[in-house]
Amino acid sequence: MSNVIIILLGTTMLYVFAASRIEAYVKTLALQGIFLFLLVILDINGLSWLNIAFLVLETLIIKGIIIPYFLLNVIRKNEIGREVEPYLSQFYSLLIGSAIFIFGFVAAFWSSKIEAGIKPLYFGVSLVLIIASLFLIVNRKRIITHILCYMMLENGIFLLSLSVANEMPMLVNVGVLLDLFVGVYLFAIFFNKIQSMFDGNHIDILTDLKD
Amino acid sequence: MITILLFLPVLLGVVVLLSSKREITRIALLLVPAVYLIIVICIWSGINWIILPGWLNIYFSFDPIGIYFLAVMTVVFSASSIYSLFYFKEHNVSPQKEAAYTVTNFLFAASMAGVILSTHLALMWVFVEATTLSSALLIYFERKKSSLEAAWKYIYICSIGISLAFVGIIFLSIGSKPVGSLFFSDLYKHASQINPFWLLISFVFVFVGFGTKVGVAPIHAWLPDAHSEAPSPISAMLSGTLLNTAFLGLIRYQEIMVSAHQEYFSNSLFLITGFLSLLISAVFMLQVKNYKRMLAYSSIENMGILFIGIALGKLGIFAAMILLVAHSFSKTSLFLTSGNILHLYKTKKIENVNGLLKKDSLTGWLWIISLLSISGMPPFPSFIAKFLIIKAMFTMNLGWLAVPFFILLAVIIYGMGGSVFKMSFGESNFDGTNSKLNFSAYAGQIIILVLLLIIGTNIPDMILNIIKNAAGFLN
Repeated sequence: MSNVIIILLGTTMLYVFAASRIEAYVKTLALQGIFLFLLVILDINGLSWLNIAFLVLETLIIKGIIIPYFLLNVIRKNEIGREVEPYLSQFYSLLIGSAIFIFGFVAAFWSSKIEAGIKPLYFGVSLVLIIASLFLIVNRKRIITHILCYMMLENGIFLLSLSVANEMPMLVNVGVLLDLFVGVYLFAIFFNKIQSMFDGNHIDILTDLKD
Repeated sequence: MITILLFLPVLLGVVVLLSSKREITRIALLLVPAVYLIIVICIWSGINWIILPGWLNIYFSFDPIGIYFLAVMTVVFSASSIYSLFYFKEHNVSPQKEAAYTVTNFLFAASMAGVILSTHLALMWVFVEATTLSSALLIYFERKKSSLEAAWKYIYICSIGISLAFVGIIFLSIGSKPVGSLFFSDLYKHASQINPFWLLISFVFVFVGFGTKVGVAPIHAWLPDAHSEAPSPISAMLSGTLLNTAFLGLIRYQEIMVSAHQEYFSNSLFLITGFLSLLISAVFMLQVKNYKRMLAYSSIENMGILFIGIALGKLGIFAAMILLVAHSFSKTSLFLTSGNILHLYKTKKIENVNGLLKKDSLTGWLWIISLLSISGMPPFPSFIAKFLIIKAMFTMNLGWLAVPFFILLAVIIYGMGGSVFKMSFGESNFDGTNSKLNFSAYAGQIIILVLLLIIGTNIPDMILNIIKNAAGFLN
């Protein structure tokens, strides 16, 4: 069951490569949060209730609902255009996306052969999420897509940490979540300011400072 | 004590935010660095007491290198806070904004103290990210278009970089399964059990992540923008303490590499990025038109030299530790003085500033003396540090590295010195009014330069010991 969810999580990334509207990105983000929640729920044996409560809060409430809702609000309020405006065309993006996928599965296959302790499919798909969102950040002009792809990168890192059986102490988990939350909040504040001050939301407008 | 270091700024921050009265804000602004100073002196002289809660002591502790970094940070923090009083006055900052500035500054300082004191690798990561978030607001403090651009680049580039560092930490936790924990002490003790493959991969990620925060080339893009657009006391904090704390993260990681006998790999990375940083700052130093950006490139240069020092064995590490305090203090003095210049001339362009010595002689002399200090002229400690680094190159049989090292340093000093002297001498192109600045515009710099002179000429045993202990951390 969890393997199916992992594969679905991976396909959301392919969908993002093909999608051309910003709202699709936000919906994907919410979907990823829910998939992560399902993954956590399917694999809870041996965790304390405090840990479970925290993981539910992190995945379902924050990653799945609050942050996407918050970003959707930012998008609607600023009335930004709907297109994502990539540098490379859709076709080449998909081509590169598929290449990243192949790499991810090779990594999963390879990691299944070496020492125990990693869940291969988790490992491979999390690498796909991380590399693909880094590629998307480079390939998109809009600042709002940068924030959305940053969240996808964080989802990938969360999945990667799920693939390792070693548990981080609770204090660290809380800290990471707090950082992420404040980070996205600040991103949105700065995004609003950029929108009103620069009268635009392309990364190309931020070129005043240079030598 | 750790409790006070971490929670006092937060607590006072809440008080300041609630009252928003000018007097309370300013008292708090000076109180926190004063308390930090007292605590550092107590720890230094061996006094330590523990206040509840006890579980904090698992996650935070004072070790020799941490005390050293905390001491440097505290001095810079104090000087920057004194200067902030002048900054508030000169910019007519409203009480609400003063309170906001003070609170974010406290959060910034507390998160840096957290980085320095953490005993757990991932917890340290949490605090490094917290420093990014709190300082981004300070960079945007002047609410200008350019400062918004700088703050956005800073927070975005550093967040991505730090995320990659977290990927590295997860890779390390895959490789360190036999160790079973990410506490530094466990990692050092059982370093030989860590799988070398995962250790090397994780080092690359952590190096890129923390290296972004340190601001070494080629991942330095945010640094000149952020340093030039932040208010001057914040630029001093960024350059004098933030870069150091991220550097401390790399030193702690390097200790794992050394304990696992993988230091050949990490040393080569340190050396390559170090020289690349020198090259980048030499190239830009010759064409830079903004004096605060010039200081930022000098920070890249000094961080590069620190990286080179770390890679050169015992002597190099000792030299790096001396350079650390030399750079932090001189750069703080330079950035604070650049705030005076900005106030006097209302421009950041080098070409529009002339005759600084005539306009305000004390600012002019501080500007020149700080330049001598940062460029490594005797009797300042930067000279000793650079001398020792060259000596370390020869003892490591890497003497040929001294040639590019000298050439690049000469280019940098030529570029920087030319600009500073051009600004200081000549006729003042403004009206003859000799505008007086108040005492808090000079106090911090003077104290810091006197401290540097003491360290450079006749170093007290107390300071020498703490530097030796810090350098002895890596072996």
